[in-house]
Amino acid sequence: MSLLGPMTGLWMLLALGVLTVSTGLPVWALLIGVSSLFAAAGLGAGVMDVNILSAMPMRLVGLLENDLLQALPLYVFVGMLLQRMGLADALFSVMARWFRPLGGSHALATLGVGALIAPMNGSVASSASLIARLVSPRLAHLDAGRATALASAAATIGVIVPPSLVLILLGDAMMRAHTEASSLSGSALGSARIISTQDVFNATLLPGLCILLLWSLLARWQSRHLKADIPAVSRAQYAVAIVAGSVILALLAGVFSGKLFAVEAAATGCMLLMLAALLSRALRGSDWRELLADTLNLSGALMALLMGATVFSLIFRLFGTDRWILAVLAASPLPPLLTAAGVLLLVALCAWVLDAFEMIFVVVPIVAAPLIAMLGDAQQVAVLLLLVLQLSFLVPPMGYAVMMARARFGRDLSAADLFGALGPFIAVQLCVVMAVFFAPSVVHQLDAAALPEAQDSEQEILQKMQDMATPPAGEGSPESNTLTELPTKGKP
Amino acid sequence: MRFVLRFAGVLVLPLAILLFLQWPLREWVQAYSRQANDLGQILFALYVSVAVSAATRSHTHLSAGSASAKRRLAPWRAWAALACVGPWAVFMLWAASGMMRLSLLGLERFSETMTPGYFVIKLSLAILLLLVLVQAIASLRERVSGHGQ
Repeated sequence: MSLLGPMTGLWMLLALGVLTVSTGLPVWALLIGVSSLFAAAGLGAGVMDVNILSAMPMRLVGLLENDLLQALPLYVFVGMLLQRMGLADALFSVMARWFRPLGGSHALATLGVGALIAPMNGSVASSASLIARLVSPRLAHLDAGRATALASAAATIGVIVPPSLVLILLGDAMMRAHTEASSLSGSALGSARIISTQDVFNATLLPGLCILLLWSLLARWQSRHLKADIPAVSRAQYAVAIVAGSVILALLAGVFSGKLFAVEAAATGCMLLMLAALLSRALRGSDWRELLADTLNLSGALMALLMGATVFSLIFRLFGTDRWILAVLAASPLPPLLTAAGVLLLVALCAWVLDAFEMIFVVVPIVAAPLIAMLGDAQQVAVLLLLVLQLSFLVPPMGYAVMMARARFGRDLSAADLFGALGPFIAVQLCVVMAVFFAPSVVHQLDAAALPEAQDSEQEILQKMQDMATPPAGEGSPESNTLTELPTKGKP
Repeated sequence: MRFVLRFAGVLVLPLAILLFLQWPLREWVQAYSRQANDLGQILFALYVSVAVSAATRSHTHLSAGSASAKRRLAPWRAWAALACVGPWAVFMLWAASGMMRLSLLGLERFSETMTPGYFVIKLSLAILLLLVLVQAIASLRERVSGHGQ
């Protein structure tokens, strides 16, 4: 049997995993290095054609002209501005004051700031870093494990509450996966409308709010006997917090209601924050220089990851591993629900060691289409994937949010301490995952609210989508690929 | 290089302005929103073309693995990075050269709006690949001469 065949993609994944953990090299470089090595082997063995590999530049041009990805540096910029302008501090102080009568005000304020800031921030890492820095002096009355748990949980809220970058990118990946699942032979999804990013927003909102509410009740209950000093809040802080909070909520509402595209919401947030920074003179010249440099660096890191994942997935698919996985899952002797649960468990394990962006660009494209085919509901799959990512980020010691928060707190915490502190949060999360898994109607509660408008303006939506479509539909432009298929899928 | 990085960093400001303007242009002026989007795409492509190497210079790229693994590999890090991305960048430049030459010679426009400048997006890919290659070699030189981390 040839060493290079449909299973080669799995060896690629294994090599990537081993090298990532054992070398500590940048993941984007390893994605490209592993892909290059296997592509060269494929060329040498005659399994691959150099002409197909020559299509790779067009895929990367597709990334550079992708409308959705333009939001990426803007979200990073918003996150950096929020960090440096002290808006998060003002929001925290005011919330802590407001929640004082309830008890556990600092814990509630931590989750509140996470709910407002994490969806507008660039990434889980950035949110974890910002929130941990913000709350570490204020949660000194809590034990280190509980404080780390709260900061970690708050940072992951952006994974599930719209319109975070993670959600936007997952929405895009789900559109492609849904299209792919619909075209599978024997699929019952053929006539279903392909989901859009907006559908993913609608689906995630209720489970996201549910988690936030349950975590708040938990945090309040855990902190009910603790006394904490809550300093007085100045009028200026009140004003800043109310204006910033209102603007963030207005942007979230604009995106959620479909009035604003996510890219425009990020741009509006940028403009308002820049204006506020200029008018208040909150930032000096050197601060601006640092801010712009940090934004460039972090945006570059995220885009590099995306490029690496694009190259990796191309080679993975050229070996036919994606089709092989589909066939294996379709032939599974287990019931579809059990097989889907197994796939989700694998996703959880991957997310335990990988960042949200690595998951969305490397793992989700492989598993999303089979999951949709098995569960028959693309919105349910999108929410389950997000919940599982969020869950994995919270599991110590490798969970991404926990690692970032723990590093920021700078305290020696054992894995057992962290498990003890994070256990209740993880249990709540697991309950919501189970609810979405066994009762998919949970994710469709807001469909009815969104439907009349969608029916009334289908033509308008198509027109808008055509307006948004990237001009020359490059092979690698995922958005344009999906858009060109939408009318035929929507109208059987 | 420092000047290029500083210049590229500033591009996020006009990018934010252009993408923000799309909304009022589409809703109120009902014109030029696609042109604003086209220009935004050009700026975004240029921004990304420099950002990847900027992240390498500032060691911002995401990585996993233990601190001991990173320490162990430190002497070989620059070599390993060059081995990973060098051949790929060269191949990509070769594979993209025909497409880029045609685009550049024809001063390719955005196909739907006919806005000029689409060729800059393809050119950005060449800039990105060249900078990745140059940065990988520069990191190696720094390492060899003992100035690297």
